Amino acid sequence: MKRSMQIFTRPWIWSWLAAAVVFAMTLALTGADGATGLAYAALSFGSFAAIVGLGQMLVMTLGPGNVDLSIPATMTLAATLGLKVMNSEPGNAMLGLGVALLAGLLTGGMNVLLIFLLRLPPIIATLAASLVYQSVAIWSNRGLRIKPPEALADFATGRLIGVPNVAWVALVLSIIIWIVLERSLWGRWLLASGQNMRAARLAGVPVQAVRAVTYIAVALLASVAGYLLASFSGGAALNMGSEYLLMSIAVVVIGGTSVAGGFSNVPGIWGASLFMFLVVSMLNSYGAGAGLRMVLTGTIIIFIVIAASSRRGRL
Amino acid sequence: MKTAVMLLTTATLALSAGAAMADTSGKRIALSNNYAGNSWRQAMLKTFEETADKAVADGVVAAADAYTTSESQTTEQAAQIQNMILQGYDAILLNAASPTALNGAVKEACDAGVLVVSFDSIVTEPCAYRIAVDFVEMGRQEVEYLSERLPEGGKLLEIRGLAGVSTDDAISQGIHNGVEQFPQFEVAGAVHGNWAQDVAQKAVSGILPSLPEVVGVVTQGGDGYGAAQAFAAAGRETPLIVLGNRQDEMAWWAEQRDANGYETLSLSIAPGVASLAFWVAQQILDGEEVPKDLTVPFLKITQDTLDEQLASTPVGSVANVAYTLEDAKAVIAGAK
Repeated sequence: MKRSMQIFTRPWIWSWLAAAVVFAMTLALTGADGATGLAYAALSFGSFAAIVGLGQMLVMTLGPGNVDLSIPATMTLAATLGLKVMNSEPGNAMLGLGVALLAGLLTGGMNVLLIFLLRLPPIIATLAASLVYQSVAIWSNRGLRIKPPEALADFATGRLIGVPNVAWVALVLSIIIWIVLERSLWGRWLLASGQNMRAARLAGVPVQAVRAVTYIAVALLASVAGYLLASFSGGAALNMGSEYLLMSIAVVVIGGTSVAGGFSNVPGIWGASLFMFLVVSMLNSYGAGAGLRMVLTGTIIIFIVIAASSRRGRL
Repeated sequence: MKTAVMLLTTATLALSAGAAMADTSGKRIALSNNYAGNSWRQAMLKTFEETADKAVADGVVAAADAYTTSESQTTEQAAQIQNMILQGYDAILLNAASPTALNGAVKEACDAGVLVVSFDSIVTEPCAYRIAVDFVEMGRQEVEYLSERLPEGGKLLEIRGLAGVSTDDAISQGIHNGVEQFPQFEVAGAVHGNWAQDVAQKAVSGILPSLPEVVGVVTQGGDGYGAAQAFAAAGRETPLIVLGNRQDEMAWWAEQRDANGYETLSLSIAPGVASLAFWVAQQILDGEEVPKDLTVPFLKITQDTLDEQLASTPVGSVANVAYTLEDAKAVIAGAK
């Protein structure tokens, strides 16, 4: 009995439970025929949320006040530049990815400079910088949608053994981040810094270096997400990232990562990403209007967060 | 004698030309725009710039400058309008962040003797001019077109825009009016695509498993290509998707037409409406009597005009019309 209950003390279980319930409720309407289609769509679109969510999770693990609000602008800029340099020509996929990653490296580096050299609070620094990144994206291509090379578009929308390719990419990234967090020295440093920065510094952890690397990592993940999303949906758009600001924070919180910092939770990010897609699909399928949909989504999120955090509190 | 006539004619010509030009050549016009973050607004700014630069070079007006707020906040745009009043602009062209929240600032401008012409997203303040699109009619025409193509009717999927924006409500209202008028159709599901291909693709992918066979998709623009991709990914037959003039939508349409004879209709408001607003303002400054409420026709692309429009639209942009002074005069005359 006690052992079987123990799983409910895992903060990530709640997002997975919620995703499963919402999935089942949608199937109650569509019948079992819809199951594969819905699961496939959830994996495809959940992947983008998962990738940016992983980045935001790393930053939020650094402790209160650490958040990257420039994720949408970084996605847009990386995707815009990446697709522009590829110019729809075949064989350019790696070049495009390289340019997108370079854009991410630059925005991440810029955020680090603002936060550390100018000592701006991360919320202000990343929000202000995102205006610059968005403007550069506008200036670089005036909002024109350039199609991805065909092979890249086929890859982004394709599948391997029934699972979308984008989900494989997101899964590999998740596993790498999980291993880094749980097994590597840097991961331990990150968690220690998030739990108590002063104690970590006194214990010899290079706290500022850890923070700097984290802010660059989130920008790199955002640029990968932007690159994939633009390849998936047929081109970069100036407003393509706007959905992922709240999304990135929501999947972290729903996934059971502590907002107070110091604890990361990779499996929860996936449960939450699938949930965020499925809940909108469910409410759309039941014909809920936009107002009701937002109220219900908000309410459900609050309940999951309460469930996930109160269980952890009792431990 | 002959010379005298010629002189007289020249004098008359100069006089009449002077009457049309001289009155506004010292005037300064500002564009207050609340958002620049999509291809439509970018095309709008570009068309305005081209029209304005030419008008300034030709001496029609003294200055025509575009300003965009960074956060699309009403407070920000109200402050921007107040700045324009202080800077002494003679007219403000306004694409508003809110139909009502800017009324105070607009009233201040009117009281200061500044002409305000709102367009696209218009304001309700009575002292301002409005160049509006009949979005309700646009929604209705989509269903009307479907009824011509699919007389036996069927189930429709509706893709809406951004929840809470008046344009979204108006187009959706029109679509539902259309469904009432042509009861062989039924809206089986509705999702919000936020006028963005990737958001529409995501929302449509999520609702498709729960939908029966859909014969048509009614849209608001900027979402048709995403819907088509979602149908293809789900392995469903592509229904009749009404498009919204985006270049990627038209390119897809042409591709489908060549492959399997796909036929549809595309309609939206042309971003060039900013240039129409410019000429209307110029006409008002020139002393022309102009009704407060004007309607701009929407730009429709049919099977016959597809190739021509596709060729004239830059890759990744949106089909456009740069309105001229003559167009503005026609719109004004039509409203009188």
